[in-house]
Amino acid sequence: MNTHSSSQFDADLDAVRAQLTQMGGLIEEQLKDAIRIITTHDQASVEQIIRNDKAVDALEIEIDDACLHLIARRQPTAVDLRLIMAIVKAVKDMERIGDEAKKIAKAVRKINERGLIGGQASEVDLRHLGDQVTPMVHDVLDAFVRSDADLALSVMRKDRDIDNLFRGCVRQLVTFMMEDPRTISTALDLVFVAKSLERIGDHAKNIAESVIFIAQGRDVRHMGDAALEG
Amino acid sequence: MSFAYALAGLLGLCLAWAVVRLVREARQRRALLAWLRDTASAELPDGDDAWREVFSAQRQLQKENRRDLAQLTMRLERFLKATQAIPDGVILLDADDRIEWHNRVAGEQLGIALEDDQGTLIVHLFRYPVFLSYLRRFRSGEATEDGLSLELGTPPRQFLVRLLPVANQGSLLLLRDVTDMVRTERMRVDFVANVSHELRTPVTVISGFLEQMTCDEPPQGEDAKRFLAMMSDQAGRMRRLIEDLLTLSRLEGESRLVSEDEIVMPTMIAELIEEADALSSGRHTVTCGEVEPVNLFGNPEELRSAFANLLSNAIRYTPEWGEITVRWQVHEGKPVFSVQDTGIGIASDHIPRLTERFYRVDRGRSSSSGGTGLGLAIVKHVLSRHGGCIKIDSTPGRGSTFSAMLPAERLRR
Repeated sequence: MNTHSSSQFDADLDAVRAQLTQMGGLIEEQLKDAIRIITTHDQASVEQIIRNDKAVDALEIEIDDACLHLIARRQPTAVDLRLIMAIVKAVKDMERIGDEAKKIAKAVRKINERGLIGGQASEVDLRHLGDQVTPMVHDVLDAFVRSDADLALSVMRKDRDIDNLFRGCVRQLVTFMMEDPRTISTALDLVFVAKSLERIGDHAKNIAESVIFIAQGRDVRHMGDAALEG
Repeated sequence: MSFAYALAGLLGLCLAWAVVRLVREARQRRALLAWLRDTASAELPDGDDAWREVFSAQRQLQKENRRDLAQLTMRLERFLKATQAIPDGVILLDADDRIEWHNRVAGEQLGIALEDDQGTLIVHLFRYPVFLSYLRRFRSGEATEDGLSLELGTPPRQFLVRLLPVANQGSLLLLRDVTDMVRTERMRVDFVANVSHELRTPVTVISGFLEQMTCDEPPQGEDAKRFLAMMSDQAGRMRRLIEDLLTLSRLEGESRLVSEDEIVMPTMIAELIEEADALSSGRHTVTCGEVEPVNLFGNPEELRSAFANLLSNAIRYTPEWGEITVRWQVHEGKPVFSVQDTGIGIASDHIPRLTERFYRVDRGRSSSSGGTGLGLAIVKHVLSRHGGCIKIDSTPGRGSTFSAMLPAERLRR
């Protein structure tokens, strides 16, 4: 990282980054657990994910607060300001990823209560979708720490595959519902799980955009693929 | 007067000599200083008189320094090579927990590279909440555990993560892949649980009947006979299980094959079919397919028990009126003993696990089939001791073929 004339600013920034990676580690774990329970239906993990989400929320507030203080006291400019703005945005997305993991846990809890009717085949596909999303979140957090624009770009490209997989999962679930109406409630819950996973991919992409903003100073939101590569 | 001139001349000479000395000394000093300042210059300038000694002492010192440096470099290189050879991941952290150095294995395990990540806080890249809290406890001296068990990567592998203090400051982070160790431990636990379960079932049955027999009104006549027959069945089951366990442990314990001999295969196959007929008691048709007139070299008892196991499995898992065919062929110079049945067949995902001890395709059938769950494990061991292997082809609902593939050098014509 750049060296600053104010070493206190550096120390404050380091503290914020440490909190951010701590939050990142927590949501990665939440996500991993959420994907595992799609097939295992482990009730204890379900409850734990829902409980842990409070810790994620608390970290969000803490980091936001720290960023506000940093802006107010140090009045950063240029690259420092960009970094702090990006952190504020990334924290929002990370908190949403935590929320989606909680939603998956709640959907699984519902399925557990009702008993799984049909949908075992879709669960495997959903798990596959999840296994694609997890490394995206991991990579984008690595990219954030290293200010690695190339890694961030590769995460953005992966989001397209996730969208395709999501559509495939939904199509399959709709087929199940049409074939056997008894599976509708389970299938609907699974559609929500799929949607959550797809949203997590989107949030990872948003964080990747922030990383590119920090590293290169260019805003790549709402750009076509062609513009992205350039 | 002439004395005065002589004195003046002498003085003049002395002065001239002193000036020359001074100039030369100054030159030598400059040369030494230039040499000292220029770190790249290797060779010392030549000197004379006292300077020669100074220069030669310097030269000696320089030589020693160079030798020390070369030795140190060599040792450092050796040391670095040695750490690269360690199969565990090693990361050196500084006092602020920033990555100072890591070996190749750690780089692969965590996906880090020294050129990019040197100086990065370890918790930025190794973000597990449990690790963070372990690191905090380690720093405050409260960590009591020997390490941390963590799942890393996709597909997940089990790691033992340890922090160790380094003498002056900082710490050493060790990552050991314990996936195989954990798996072996799980297999051991499973094995003990399975053996206990398999042994307890017959004991439960026997003690249940014994309770009935010893109550105030014990069963009489036909009932008593039936109970005794059932108890004897269960006792036989236990005996078979213990015999199989002993066979397995003997097979594993003996590293070398003993008492090898030439086995007349056509005769052995005829005997095996006779035994199988008796076991089936007319419920199946056991036929002899192609039997080549060649013999096999190996331990007769072990091979016989392996082949008999394959046959009894076929009888057990083939419904009544099914057909079982035994073959003894030579494929590409290698002898193959195979048993084909028209039984229930095995789904492909079970096949790789069939030779595990106590592995059951259908848990519910385990007791009804009368097997011990160790048969195929024994077959696999016997064959591997003879340098062969087992091959299983199966279609659910159509039947299976179990082939004992043996190496060409065991063939005797």
